[in-house]
Amino acid sequence: MPVNALPMDLRDFLRVAPAVLLSAWGLVVVAADLARYRRRDAESRRLAVGRLTLIGVGLALASAVALFGIDSLAQSDAPRLDRLLGESFASYFSRPDGLIFFGTLASGLPTDVLNVLFLTLLGLVVWTSTAYAFTDDLGEYFALLLWATVGMMLLAASEELATLFIALETMTICLYLASAFEKSKPRSAEAGLKYFIYGSVSSALFLYGLSFVYGLTGTTYFDAIGRVLGRGGHEGLAGNLVGGAALLLMLVGFGFKVAAVPFHMWAPDVYEGAPAPVSAWIATGSKVASFVVMLKVFLHALGPWSNPSNELMGPGWLGVVVVLAAATMTYGNLAALAQRNYKRMLAYSSIAHAGYILVGVAAASVSTAGPEAAGAVLYYLVVYAFANVGAFAVAAWLARDRDGDAIADLDGLARTSPALAVCIVVLMLSLIGVPPFAGFFGKLAIFMEALRQGPSGTRIVLAWLVALGLFNSVVSAFYYVRVLKAMYLREAPSVGGLQRAKSAIAVPIVVATVVVTACGIVPSPLMDLMRAIARPMLTATTLDATAVTDATPAAGATARPRPVAWTTPSRPE
Amino acid sequence: MGEVVVARILFLAIAALGLLAALGTVLSRNLVHAALHLVGFFFCVACLFVMLEAEFLAAVQVLIYIGAVAILLMFGIMLTRNTRGDDATSLSGPWRLPGLVAGLCLFGALVFGINNAVSPSGASPWAGEAARPSLVEREGEPAWAAERRRAVEDMGRVVGEEFLTRYAMAFELAGLLLTAALVGAVALAHRDEVGAAELPPTVEALPADSAEPVGTAAS
Amino acid sequence: MANDIPLSWFLYFAAAAFATGLVGVLLRRNAIAVLMAIEIMLNAANVNLVAFWRYGTPAPGAGPLPGVILALLVITVAAAEVAVGIGLILLCYRRWRAVDVDRYETMSG
Repeated sequence: MPVNALPMDLRDFLRVAPAVLLSAWGLVVVAADLARYRRRDAESRRLAVGRLTLIGVGLALASAVALFGIDSLAQSDAPRLDRLLGESFASYFSRPDGLIFFGTLASGLPTDVLNVLFLTLLGLVVWTSTAYAFTDDLGEYFALLLWATVGMMLLAASEELATLFIALETMTICLYLASAFEKSKPRSAEAGLKYFIYGSVSSALFLYGLSFVYGLTGTTYFDAIGRVLGRGGHEGLAGNLVGGAALLLMLVGFGFKVAAVPFHMWAPDVYEGAPAPVSAWIATGSKVASFVVMLKVFLHALGPWSNPSNELMGPGWLGVVVVLAAATMTYGNLAALAQRNYKRMLAYSSIAHAGYILVGVAAASVSTAGPEAAGAVLYYLVVYAFANVGAFAVAAWLARDRDGDAIADLDGLARTSPALAVCIVVLMLSLIGVPPFAGFFGKLAIFMEALRQGPSGTRIVLAWLVALGLFNSVVSAFYYVRVLKAMYLREAPSVGGLQRAKSAIAVPIVVATVVVTACGIVPSPLMDLMRAIARPMLTATTLDATAVTDATPAAGATARPRPVAWTTPSRPE
Repeated sequence: MGEVVVARILFLAIAALGLLAALGTVLSRNLVHAALHLVGFFFCVACLFVMLEAEFLAAVQVLIYIGAVAILLMFGIMLTRNTRGDDATSLSGPWRLPGLVAGLCLFGALVFGINNAVSPSGASPWAGEAARPSLVEREGEPAWAAERRRAVEDMGRVVGEEFLTRYAMAFELAGLLLTAALVGAVALAHRDEVGAAELPPTVEALPADSAEPVGTAAS
Repeated sequence: MANDIPLSWFLYFAAAAFATGLVGVLLRRNAIAVLMAIEIMLNAANVNLVAFWRYGTPAPGAGPLPGVILALLVITVAAAEVAVGIGLILLCYRRWRAVDVDRYETMSG
């Protein structure tokens, strides 16, 4: 036997149970569709395959919730966990480092919370998919949705560049395929190809940047990269052109995934062309996962490069992200004003929201609250994701009954389905950011973090950015209100209007409405939870890392303004 | 000393061939020629892997890139019957010069950056005569030197160990990715009746031509 | 093996190949040609990764060969990407009889 082989703890597989379950369930769905459901008529086959998929999502959700329970018990009440699971498992689960598979993946509360979020959203998206017939390859379609989600869950959990890259690719390749699945419509194939071309180019750029990061630091672990870069002290990126190039290339990669201007060209076409549930999943799941991993890479690994000299346009990425955020939210909102197509409008609105979230990323890197500032971004992501899943369910409704997606197709909805119209109003108000709905508190939290700066050169610029964000929120009201106007002020067409929504459309809309209303009226539980998981998420470190830390901590490292405080052990016992 | 000169000359020759092949891929109007140039480029990269003492990776490169990727691309070219090339396959005229200039600028910037790289780890700079760490066993060498020696001498085994321990999840994900790509691509590329009816009638004998449900191909 | 080719030579090669691939992506309109250019870019990154692995000093805890593992994963991804890309290109080709990225314009705005 080789002496160098590392001992592997097989219990680690238990902690990725949701991902394992979903991957296996994808195969089950494909096989069941081929063997049993293919002979049925289209309607009942769609429902049967959808129901089977939902069972799998439910199982994975149950395992994620169970893991969440175990992990929170390990933190709050360790003796009880001892009695429940036995000593060896209990001590395994209460390990304080929160890393599995030799530090390549994170586990613990942050991952559990995100997994529950992904699976809940996936359940809604799968349910929406059963609303109307857009593809004949149902088994393959649902399997790809499940596998894309596996990519998202592991992407959000990754703590190392190789795992990050393969998870990112799994997620996006499944989504490229899924967006081309509506074979009766040419624009779906076009959307798939466009998404594919832009996506592969951006991942090639991302990879090249990543190779330089590896070359500069000699490691692929986020935490170790942060430690190595931290040794640079105040220098940061000054004079380091290749570091700057690596940073920009990685920013291009993430900018593409979250659709930030100027890497947004694909988004409107793909959102419009892809089937509504796939657009929903691209706009929510993939965006949430990409932002989470972007937070990890930029705040944890590249944190020392954010703003080392305390001036905004100093040698760091903060200035670039600020410019990107300003351009993204302004462009997204202005372009959305001109849209007559509902899905295209949502695409530009989602670009604009990426801009607000980038403000949060920039703010979190210099906030005096430390990593907890990222909690505001996480809160915003949750709220944004639910509101958008509901909004895209409306797009599925339009596609089902009108075979189109113009905003004008919503005319007179308030008379035909008053209850759902009210729900849509709530979703739109939340997306605008009107109190008392959750979107308001998300924006408020992000903008407050941006203003919570120590005295430094960045403060005034971030204040301007907040002002721009407020202005943009006002602009955004105009196009969201157009939807409300169509529903309430126009007459319904006498024939061919929207029919009654079945549960596949009504449930996602209602659930999203309930979530944004509940989180708006009582924002603090979700906000507290997100703040609590932000710290372990962004500081996860292997236990022996402190032991092997470089022998040259030197004055430069201790004098660094911020990241030093971050590298405290994740869960003080 | 003579050995070094030989190695350098060999490197320069391979690199020059590789770059020519890359340029050929990008510039040639005929797509089949482009694909053949691409095979040449892949092979040169495999040779560079050998020069970097990663023979295992070189073998994988030849097997997968030349054996699978290039063949797939050839199939793609044949199935779209775009063998001889048309206007769409060449570089678009007015943008040719600015594009090439932009490429040269990018290359220049990267070379400048590589020459002036500031390595925060305090390791040796990239430019100049940086030599690779020796593989000869020495007294008091750091732990990673022994690890590296074992990895170079027995790469297949170390790669296997790494994939089954440290990178177990990445490995599983790679498997899932390939499955998903297979399932999805088959589902997309098989032709259903709706799609076929819209097309102008053509005489084709494509492998993907069957109207069979995807099941027969996937299972 | 005393051949010490400088690390920077490998990096120059990778940079040149990367720039070539990027020019190809920007200038070619045929989707299959773009796909080939993307493969060139991925290979350039791989050369970088392996060269950094062989020449660099690893940080503590990095494992014996992170660069090679990443390169292997990239090769896997490239294979999957090409399969998916060809599938999508064939799908579009059946609709438009063209593999020209610019020619599919059903959407605008």
